Order: sequence, then structure tokens, then C-alpha cells
Amino acid sequence: MLPETYKSELKDRLQKVGNPREMVVDVMLEVQEFYGWFSDEALEQAAVLLGMSSLEIEELATFYNTIYRQPVGKFVIHVCDSVICWMENGYGELIDHIGKKLGIGMGETTPDGLFSLLPACCIGYCDHAPAIMINKTVYGDIAPAKMDEIIETLRQEK
Amino acid sequence: MPKLIIDNREIEVPEGIKVIEAADRAGIYIPRFCYYAELGAVGACRICAVKFVDGPVKGIEMSCMINAQDGMVVSTTDPEARDFRRHVIEWLMMNHPHDCPVCDEGGHCLLQDLTESCDHGIRRYKGKKRTYVDQYLGPLIQHEENRCIQCYRCSRYYQEFAGYKDLGVMGIAQRIYFGRYAAGVLESPFSGNIIDLCPTGVYTDKPSRYTGRRWDYERVPGICINCSLGCHITVSARYREIVYLEGRYSGKVNGSFICDRGRYGFFYANLEERPRQGRVRGEDVPSGRAITMAAQRVKEVSESHGAAAIAVIGSGRSSLETIAALTHVCKVQGWRGPVLFDSRVSSESVRTAVSCIAQELAVSMKEIESADFILTVGADPINEAPMLAMAMRQAWRKGAGVAAIDCRSLDWPFQFEQVTAAPDDMADFLAALENSETTVISDRFVAQIKSIAAKIRACHRPVVVCGTEITDSKIIYGAAGFVKAMRQAGQEAGLFYTLPAANSYGAALLDEIGETAEDLIERIESGEIKALVIVESDLWDTFSDRQRLIQALEQLELLVVADFMATEILHRADIIIPTLSIFEAGGIYVNQEGRAQWSPPAYAGGTPIKITGQGGHPPRIIRPDIPAGDISPAWRMAWWLADRQPPASHDLLLDWMGKTFPVLEKAANFTSEGIRLYLPEARRKTARETGGRKIQSLGEYLLLPVAAVFGDEPMAQRSPCLEGYAKHPEMWMAASDARLFDASDGDAARLQLPYGPLELTLRLSERIAPGTLIVYRCPDLFWQQFARSSRFIVPKDRIRIEKKA
Repeated sequence: MLPETYKSELKDRLQKVGNPREMVVDVMLEVQEFYGWFSDEALEQAAVLLGMSSLEIEELATFYNTIYRQPVGKFVIHVCDSVICWMENGYGELIDHIGKKLGIGMGETTPDGLFSLLPACCIGYCDHAPAIMINKTVYGDIAPAKMDEIIETLRQEK
Repeated sequence: MPKLIIDNREIEVPEGIKVIEAADRAGIYIPRFCYYAELGAVGACRICAVKFVDGPVKGIEMSCMINAQDGMVVSTTDPEARDFRRHVIEWLMMNHPHDCPVCDEGGHCLLQDLTESCDHGIRRYKGKKRTYVDQYLGPLIQHEENRCIQCYRCSRYYQEFAGYKDLGVMGIAQRIYFGRYAAGVLESPFSGNIIDLCPTGVYTDKPSRYTGRRWDYERVPGICINCSLGCHITVSARYREIVYLEGRYSGKVNGSFICDRGRYGFFYANLEERPRQGRVRGEDVPSGRAITMAAQRVKEVSESHGAAAIAVIGSGRSSLETIAALTHVCKVQGWRGPVLFDSRVSSESVRTAVSCIAQELAVSMKEIESADFILTVGADPINEAPMLAMAMRQAWRKGAGVAAIDCRSLDWPFQFEQVTAAPDDMADFLAALENSETTVISDRFVAQIKSIAAKIRACHRPVVVCGTEITDSKIIYGAAGFVKAMRQAGQEAGLFYTLPAANSYGAALLDEIGETAEDLIERIESGEIKALVIVESDLWDTFSDRQRLIQALEQLELLVVADFMATEILHRADIIIPTLSIFEAGGIYVNQEGRAQWSPPAYAGGTPIKITGQGGHPPRIIRPDIPAGDISPAWRMAWWLADRQPPASHDLLLDWMGKTFPVLEKAANFTSEGIRLYLPEARRKTARETGGRKIQSLGEYLLLPVAAVFGDEPMAQRSPCLEGYAKHPEMWMAASDARLFDASDGDAARLQLPYGPLELTLRLSERIAPGTLIVYRCPDLFWQQFARSSRFIVPKDRIRIEKKA
């Protein structure tokens, strides 16, 4: 259950905007932050808070790729899966490398719950292709060695 | 008005319409999936591409996205446009399964037709098709998402047009999915329209699954009789039973859509228990024999007690032909009746409404969509006349305001403002709106009434919708008076009543006396009436005092019941005569705005093959006739009961009706949109004060049974697939009253009534008028007992509340 303080604070914020729908994305992200992913329970509570139907929330939640309707690891690696990154030499090998390094395929999470690997359509970092995004941080000019380094650093961080 | 050329044909069209609609008007069909006239254009599917050869737009464009403009030259057959469409259909077909042979849509599938006509035959895509898990959407609609081509018609209709929020579109790109958040019964009572709308087989009709192909069916244009609106439908019949109904376009009544009660309310015509043989004192006889014997017995009663000892009861679910025949026969034979109304209240209300409707005041349901303000008085469209709520929603979507004067906690799929008024106060509120006379209403409503009055005054095309179930004739007159006053003030105001049954209006046109079943029972009790003929009516279901009814029926020397449904009262009849349903006999029904519409027969009648074959192959017995094919329509039977000869054909019947009843003079000249019939000036009732306010003292509660969309309509109630749709017995109470009982929402309420205790779930709302208890009618509840005269007062000490555990 979401903390009562959050609920009452949200109620105040909703009153300030004209239409609660304006805040759907913010609420989804905040509730997801609390649960770690956007579970059915999270979704249904967001619907109640916003006065919308569960379906209306689901329509949006399944549209956006950073709303996770399934459990994800602590670090979600979004690998750019768009045309500019494809054009970079070694893109295919890089994807294979990340998978091998973590021991998982696209859409999977490492058994220790640290990393999830997801494809993303363009993340807007084309001038530094190939690019990835981990949680809210964007990394460019990725090569296998740099990728290893990032992963190791994050492992230390946990 | 822009002039343009489409496929070498010059046409002139109104400003602001799209090229695809302009082509439709010229009879040129441009392929479309996402475009649907009533949903508008979104330009999502790309299949309506045409070539703009000359004029303000050039090249390949979507015809649903471009306004028709002067000087345009458009080609739908240009090779470039055809090639474009061929590619579009190829990609739309990429994931579509090749399951047409087992798909119920096959044969009337738009995707199938357009794949053929756009010249896509050979699949080039070799990859895997995406597949989905289907959802259970309830007993009416079968879901098969793999067939989806993402046209968005269903979600746009369901959410935007109809205003419900439990079906929509989820996911993105290749994962896009049309359905619900979780499997479950669709909440909208207008859900069946997605079957008609879906251009392929994602949503198909569940009760008729695997029954046949469209070309197997006998298909006719029909009229729905599950409420008073008379929506247009298409009837499909096969093997002597109705398979399914679809919405049919009407520019005057319903547009393209219908409600689920109308769509699925036809099963009474197929049921095995329906009378298909005559029955005389427990013995089966041919239908003709039952009529002859009934005529003989009626004659005997007439000879021994006089013609006035015979009474006839009909109802608003009979065709105009039947009502006219009964009226005529009673008149020439000197019989009493026909009684066409259940109670004094409904007789008075319906006859008042019909008396108030006049050519210049009445608006059609389609016209309501262009109203700029709608005021309802004692009307709950969603439950009483569902499609009216859809029409009101369309007006609201275009910016019309909606205000309701009502004592119920109304729940409509659009925003509205409610003035919570007890039934006795509604007339005062209406008067206050009309003449700003606010001294008679409670202070706390004055500001609200003034603000609504100002909104109504500021608009051009206001419509007043008035119900006839919980209102009295004072309110019904008041609604007409208000509309007249607005018209005098220069507004194009319109008047719209809802009535209890499909042909209540027709009944009121022919019934000059307005006698009710209550009156008849009294005369049976006094010994005045010895024989009763009940035609397509069920006293058991409509009369409030069952004990009294049973005793009265026992006093009769003869009870003849003629019906096309298996009603309760049949069990008490000495003679049963089967009659034909609207699907077999056809019939004229006059809707609530006075529009007389002809619904032709869909098939010849007879026992369904499913029943004669007991589910297997039909019996291999060679016989020249149809099993149970000897049943007559009720209007013929009426003449035969009086030992007279009916008109030889339906055409002659219509001629006869026009000549015999001046009010039906135009009845024989029908158009597809029907013809409007009004009472002549001389027969209109004049307004009179009705009894004044009935005082209800403190600590007394008015128990009011009200309509529920799937709860009380006698025909739809017999549909097996709608069984789960009726509400559970609930009693709604004003939140302020609940405090006196220390009650909360969800508690169990127990009422001590003369017929024994009544158990209901208590529901609370701020929008229930204090002193009123609202009970939605449902089959599980003997609500008839308190429907009597619509004023059933319960003292406080008869109400027990038990806290929920």
C-alpha cells in the first residue's frame, strides 16, 4: 500500500491542476518508484487516486517503455534499438556482448536482481551512437570494454 | 457549396465534409477501415487513399482526411492509388490469421471484401505472425484478438462515442491489444455495437456462434420493440428461429447503433416453452380449433350474461394491427375493452403524453443529438429507453448542457447537473424553471434553478425530455407547456417523452377511454364480467395484488389467453391460443414521438428446427406443412373470436384501418422512416389540476419501483444470455435519511410489506430525494406489489436495517 502521506500530498497536487489526467505520467512514475515496478496493485491504486478506470491507466502504462508492468532489476539497461545505432560498426557484437556479460537475453533480469536488459527505440543520443540508458543516466559511444566498466562500477555500487 | 469531380462525376456537396463522404453521396465506395460515418475520421488505416489529379490538393492523399473543396478532381481508380491500397491491405493482412472458414465474420467481413477488391491475393510475408490471448468479455461477445487490424473503431466507439471506460487499446506497435484491463463482462449496455463495427472477426456475436453464414439467413429490415424508441434493426432468421439482430441506420431514430437489450431481447421468439399449439382445458388442439372453441364459449357467455360480460385485455407490446382489431371487435360486439394499460397511473400518464405531443413540438431522437441544452424531468433514459442516453451523449459531446430533475441517483455516460426532487416536487421545479417563480421551491434549490433557467434561456435548440413512469400528468403537461412557452419566446424548443412499451403510443391513439386492468378486476369481483380474453399481455406480471387476481380469475366462467410468449397467466387459462411474434407476423409500432413504423415478417413461423430435431438432425418425416405453422397473427384471431371474417390480406387490413380509425388515416402509406401520427385536436385532453399535492408526513417513505435496463422489460427478460445482467435487489436511500437509521452503504434492508418481507441491499446516495426509497425492478423481486398507483407509502417502523458483517 502506498503511504498515506503520499496519497494526501497527491490529492493536494491534483486539486491544483485542472484535470487529473494531466498528472497521469507523473503519478505512474512516482508509484513505480515506490514499488520498484508498476505492479497490478500499483496500477489499481493509481487509477483510484486519479479517478480513472484501470483500463485507462493500462492503456498508458503499456504505451510507455519506462513504465515496467513486470518486475525489473535494480538497474534497467535500455539498449537503443533504432536506425542510427544500428549503423554503427560493431552494434550487433555489442548487443551479443552485453547479453553474454550479464548472462541474460533481451527482456530478462539477472538472477541476483541487479540488471534487466530491454531494447528501447531511439533515446535521442544519436551523435554518440551506439547509446544506452541505465535508469535515468544516458551513456554514449558504447564499446564492449566501456560496457564492462559500467557494469562493474554498478555492481560495486549496489 | 463546393463542386468537385470524383471518378469523372461532378457532384456538389455541403461545406466541410470529407472527400470519402462526398464519394459516398455520389454512390462511389472508397475502401475504409478506421473511417466510420458516426465516429468521424482519424486517418489511421491508410486504405482510403485516392489520387488527387487536379485542384487545390495534388497526389495520393487519404480521402477521409481531406475536406471536399471546389475544383478538386479525384480518381479512386488511378493506378498509383490502387497500387498504394494494394500495399496497405498487404501489410494489414500480414498478421491476420487464415481462419476465415472457422470465423463467424466470414461472408460479411469488410477485411475479406477489401482484401479481394484491393487485389491482394498472394502472401509474401514469411515471418511468424503475432498472436494474443483472447479475453472473456461476457456472454454476448466473443473475442478473437489475433484477427485485429488495428482500425481503432471499437475503442473509439466504446470510449468516445458511448462513454464507457472498460474497453480500449493497450500496448504499442506490434504488441497493440484491444480489450479490457482484465477479462470480464463488458460494462456498457451498448457493447454489442462493436460486433457491427469491427471490420473483421475480433468481436463476433456469441449466442449465434457457428450458426451460419450471412447468405444462409433470411434477412429483413425490422423495428426493435424492447422499448418505446423503435430503433431500426436488421433481423436474421434461419431454420425457423431468429439468429441475431443488428443495428440498422436510421437518420431519424437511432443512427447506426442499438442497445444490448434490443440486440439480445429477441430470444422469447425461439424458446421451446413458447405456446405453439392451442390448448383447451389442458388438452392440446390445433391453433384454429382453439380459436373456434374460444369463439363458441365466448358466444355462450354472451348469450347467457350479455355481451358486456365479456372483457378484452391487450397491451402495448402488440402491433397496431392487433390493437386496432381488438378495438374494433370490442366495439361491434359490445364487449368491454380492450383494456390496454396496466394501471390508472400509466393510463393517465401515457394518454396525457400522447395528447401533448404535436407536430410542431415533437423532436426525433436523432434531432436530440443537435440540441444545445437538454432538460430531463423524471426520465432515466439509460434504464427506460437506452438509446436516448446515447443521443443525449452526442449532444453533450458537441457542447450541450444537460440538467435532470429527478429523485433517483442517475448514472449516465456523460456529465449532467441533477436537481434532486421528490416526485411530488418535480412539477414545481419545472414551473420554477419556466417562469422563474421560485417561491414554491425550497430555498436551497433557488440558486441552482436560477442558473439552469439562465442556461436554457441562452440556448437556441433546447429539448425537454419527460418520462412517464414516475411522473404524473401535471408534470407531463408542464413539460409540454414549457416547450410551448420557449417556442413562443423564439427558441426552437423540442419535446420528447419516453413511454412504457413499444406501442403505448399506438394504444393511446386508439383507446379513447383509458380503462385499466384495475377497473376490470373490480368488475370481475362484482360479477359483472364473466369471460376474460387476454391478448399478448400478462396480468400476472403487471397486476399488483396477486391474491386478489387469483380470486378474481377463479370467479370467471372463461379465461382465454392468446400470446406468443410463455407468460405466467397462461397456466390459469381455460383456452390458450398461440399468436405470432413480430418476427413472424410483422407489425406496425408507433414509437414515443408518434412515428408509426412497419416491421415486416422475417420468416414464415413454425417450431424451430433445433426443437423439432431436439438438437440433432431434423426428423425425416415428409409433411406438406411447417410444424406449428398454422398459428395466426393476433389481429386475425380477434375477428375469428367474434365469429367474423378478418380482412383477407395485410394490405386490405391497412386500408380497413385507415377507413375505420380517422387517426390512422395515413397508416397505409409508409416510408422507410415511418410516418408520424398525432391525435386530432378534438381528442386532446385539456390540462387539469391533478389532485394537488399529496401530503407525505415525516417518518413516511415513498417506495418507488423504477425501470432497470435489463430488469423489467418482459421480452428481454426471457433471453437466457441476458440472465446475469439484471441488477440484484437493491434499495436506494437518501444519505440524509440513512442517518436516521444509522445505516451505511451495503447494509441489508428488510421491509415488512403486506406480501411478506422484502430483503434488499441498501445503497446510499446524496442524489436520492429525501423521503423516497428507490428500488430497481428485477425479476427476483415482486416489485409489482408496491407499483400499485405508484404511491406506496412505507412507515419508518416497517424498515429494518441490519449492519453488514
